[in-house]
Amino acid sequence: MITESRPRTLAARALNALGSTPLSRRKALWGLALIAPNTLGLFFFFGIPVLMAFSTSVQEWNAIKPPRFVGLDNFERLISDDKFAQALTNTLKLIALAVPLEVLLALGVAVLLNLPLRGRNLLRTAYFLPVVTSTVAASVVWTSILQPRYGIVSRLLEPVGLGETKWLVEPGLVLIPIAAVAIWQRLGFDMIIFLAGLQSIPGELYEAARIDGAGRWGRFRHVTLPMLSPTTFLVVVLAVINSFQIFDQVYIMTLRTVPGGVSGSATTLTYFLYRRAFTHSEFGYASAIALVLFALILFVTVFQLTIQRYWVYYEAEEG
Amino acid sequence: MWRMLRRRVQSSHDLSIPIQVFCYAILLAGALIMVLPFLWMASTACKPSVELNRVPVTFLPENPVCRQNLDALYSTSPHFNRYLLNSAIVTVGRTLGQLVTCSLAAYGFARFRFPGRGVIFALCLALLMVPFQAILIPEFMLIRKLGWLNTFKALIVPGTFSAFALFLLRQAFLQIPTEIEEAAIIDGANPLRVLWHVTLPLSVPALAAFAVITVQAAWNDFLYPLVVSNSPDTRVVTIGIALLQGERRTPYNLLMMGSFLATVPMLVLFLALQRYFIAGIAMGGVKR
Amino acid sequence: MNTRKVTLLLVVLLSLVLALPAHAQEEPVIKPLPCEEPGKLTMWVWDEAWAAIIGDSIEAWKAEYCPGAEVDIQVQTWANYWDLLKTNAAGGELPDVFNMSQPFFFFYADNDVVLNLQPYWDEFGVDTTIWGSGLIDPYRWGEAGDLYAAPVNWDTIAIFYNKDMFDAAGLAYPTADWTWDDFAEYAAALTDPDAGVWGAAVYAEYQAGYPNWIAATGETPVVDAARTDCTLDNPGSLEALNFLKGLLDAGYMPTVSEAGGASPNDAFNLFASGKLAMVAGGSWMLPQALSDLTFNWDIVQLPKHPETGRSRSIVHAVGYVASARTANPDLAANLILYLASDEGQKFFAEGGSVAPANPSPAIQQMWIDSFGETAVNIQAFVDATVDSQGVTPFDEIWDVMNSELVVKIFDLGMSVEDAVAETCDAINAELQ
Repeated sequence: MITESRPRTLAARALNALGSTPLSRRKALWGLALIAPNTLGLFFFFGIPVLMAFSTSVQEWNAIKPPRFVGLDNFERLISDDKFAQALTNTLKLIALAVPLEVLLALGVAVLLNLPLRGRNLLRTAYFLPVVTSTVAASVVWTSILQPRYGIVSRLLEPVGLGETKWLVEPGLVLIPIAAVAIWQRLGFDMIIFLAGLQSIPGELYEAARIDGAGRWGRFRHVTLPMLSPTTFLVVVLAVINSFQIFDQVYIMTLRTVPGGVSGSATTLTYFLYRRAFTHSEFGYASAIALVLFALILFVTVFQLTIQRYWVYYEAEEG
Repeated sequence: MWRMLRRRVQSSHDLSIPIQVFCYAILLAGALIMVLPFLWMASTACKPSVELNRVPVTFLPENPVCRQNLDALYSTSPHFNRYLLNSAIVTVGRTLGQLVTCSLAAYGFARFRFPGRGVIFALCLALLMVPFQAILIPEFMLIRKLGWLNTFKALIVPGTFSAFALFLLRQAFLQIPTEIEEAAIIDGANPLRVLWHVTLPLSVPALAAFAVITVQAAWNDFLYPLVVSNSPDTRVVTIGIALLQGERRTPYNLLMMGSFLATVPMLVLFLALQRYFIAGIAMGGVKR
Repeated sequence: MNTRKVTLLLVVLLSLVLALPAHAQEEPVIKPLPCEEPGKLTMWVWDEAWAAIIGDSIEAWKAEYCPGAEVDIQVQTWANYWDLLKTNAAGGELPDVFNMSQPFFFFYADNDVVLNLQPYWDEFGVDTTIWGSGLIDPYRWGEAGDLYAAPVNWDTIAIFYNKDMFDAAGLAYPTADWTWDDFAEYAAALTDPDAGVWGAAVYAEYQAGYPNWIAATGETPVVDAARTDCTLDNPGSLEALNFLKGLLDAGYMPTVSEAGGASPNDAFNLFASGKLAMVAGGSWMLPQALSDLTFNWDIVQLPKHPETGRSRSIVHAVGYVASARTANPDLAANLILYLASDEGQKFFAEGGSVAPANPSPAIQQMWIDSFGETAVNIQAFVDATVDSQGVTPFDEIWDVMNSELVVKIFDLGMSVEDAVAETCDAINAELQ
């Protein structure tokens, strides 16, 4: 047995950090080399602006005059700002509404469209269509569809007495169409990822399960779901990250009525941040909001990453 | 193709008729909701301006003028084809670039242990958690500092790096059993060869998903190109369409015609890439 | 004096008056000057149609007054124009000359972003009062009231009405002297619930909507010019809003949801679909009206307030400003002078959609004539510029008073007093 003496030089210590054996050290170097282009690119082109934005959070800046250092004032203001609290509540409501529905519907559609049905290519394209339809065009259409009395939705709901509902104006209702359009626009995206995941499940596993006597539902529960779990994890994490930042739907669907909703009822965190920055020229405050939003998303994502060991099954051990 | 489909339907994974009907009913209802705005868009693209925004709204144009609106679009926006070309250049550049950088990085994160791996991955992911509106001005200042304003460099280079693609591909690589790769390594292949000859071919569905999503995101990018590259030479089609909205008057029929033209390439691409989603079942097997 | 002398005097006066316009046409109100030193300028516009007109105007400027100059016209999307301006200002990339709008001017003046053009007006010999206070007061800054922008176009508001509906109801067409009471009577008589037709829709967003009615009472709508006070809770404002709400409650006007939105464009769509007899519309709607309306229609000025006897329109003027940090201030000022001059404005007048701001009657007539042969009373828009109200609200309070107030009162059924109280709270918070 060879015992290695304690490394003294910096180079030796660095080498040791990489790994205890020459093989593991080589692998570590390879790993670092492989990730270098993407990581360095991301850090340079996006990491730097993010740091710049976060550093503005302790300043007061209107984009023209030189910034002024104000310490934690922006954060103190955040805590007591009703409008921020409202934006936060609206965002959380949207996430609760949109994410489970979006993921479940996308999973259901992907499973159905994975079955040998005729014309499924066309159907998949139909479900993908909202993803590529321009947000402006889609929102113009949805606003027309939701118009009380004349819009299609209102005409359909007239028999149940909801034909006069002012979906985009009533403060208590406006989040519903926004969530609906957000789901509508993102469903195809999740569906594609699920389809890719479903396609990666080896056929032999289904055969084995069938031989063991599992029925359709049994195969779904015991083969599909576990093997799909890394994909499901990906979809859920991305859906949450995305929903925390909902902006386009709010911006365009409330543009023709009251931007941001009557009394801020449709304002999400990102929309609130945007208005503070570009309408009120409070870029310092907006950066503080961005930082808090980031911390929230990070917290939720880390939470999801930690609990993934309880439900996500990886075929290969992480090398 | 019909015979192939017939065989597929009659394969051992046969579906009974009631189940098929059930599936179709749900899928078609959902599909209708999905395509309705697009159909509306197409219908509006063919309406004369007199019929726009008529109350109550009419679905089909009484007097379809598709050809005239197309001509009107090109006379209002004579460089529209150039915008489409610019979008194509940017999209292809970004997608190929990401394919290289992100598959390398995803492979590195998935198969190699190195100090700081978890932290670096988390930091990359963290970049997805900041809304673009918050970094709009710093991003503009960075591109300006580099002297890249109004160039294709600004549109393509930053877009060759992606945290989303990294995440997607890493998850996909983690789902592949290591045995095949280890076999190749024992045979003396270096990681790049393993990636190219073993891992990537086994990840075709994920790569197809990556391609579709990345192409779509690049093609529909609006805010970033608007801020850094709005000169007529580098203008992309999303901005070209937005310019149809005037200060006082927006010809919605032309706007929808432009949006329709911009959507069609995406659909064609998606239909073309469909076959790669079907590839998986045949390729996923590993004998233990 | 005996009648013969009187007649002779009248004839002489008449011929002088008739001869005068001919002379006035030859005497430009604003004269351009040659530039001292040609150079390069970047310029931002927010509309491609606009860019075409300006392009022509600038070509003429270069040919006549500044050979060798280069102007790079950059078109930005209207929806993102102000965000882009701030972004570029932050990055030090502001264009030399750019479009400015009244509600946004304060921010840029307050932060020393725009060049003071008053020294140039003095040097060029331009008396800035020729434009009328409604057009330029919002562009004044500083104790001396220096004018920082050149108004390039204006729009005003008038009532579009459906002549066929008036005929069917046996009503005489409104004249410029009509009052609020006449308006209410017409709205009542023209409403036909069975046919789904309303008499009017005039409460809409700021520019075409309720502030015009507030202004007629003599009140400065929404915010006073000194930006110290929300005027919505003043008696004049309440009177105007309650008058309009009365018409809504009586069923003569549609709610915002029924109109499809709070903007005057939505109300105009109802009008074009034959569901409204009268609608408040801006002069910018003329091209669309002339091409799309399928019935007989005409235009009349807003009705007069019964007590003050005034009919006032909100007037909005787009102006050109120069960046305070431009490398070529003299050149920029020279270009702006040209764009405001009679020669430069000819292109806008002939272009038709937006009215040129140059006060020369010849230029105004050119604009009216640009619409071609039509019996429609376009003059009403020009007349509305006489006793008009400039834009006083600013970007930060725009939404709360523009659409939110309108939706609260005319859609969600809030009382005028409650809605105004909430709006004034929000406005006063911003005024501090």
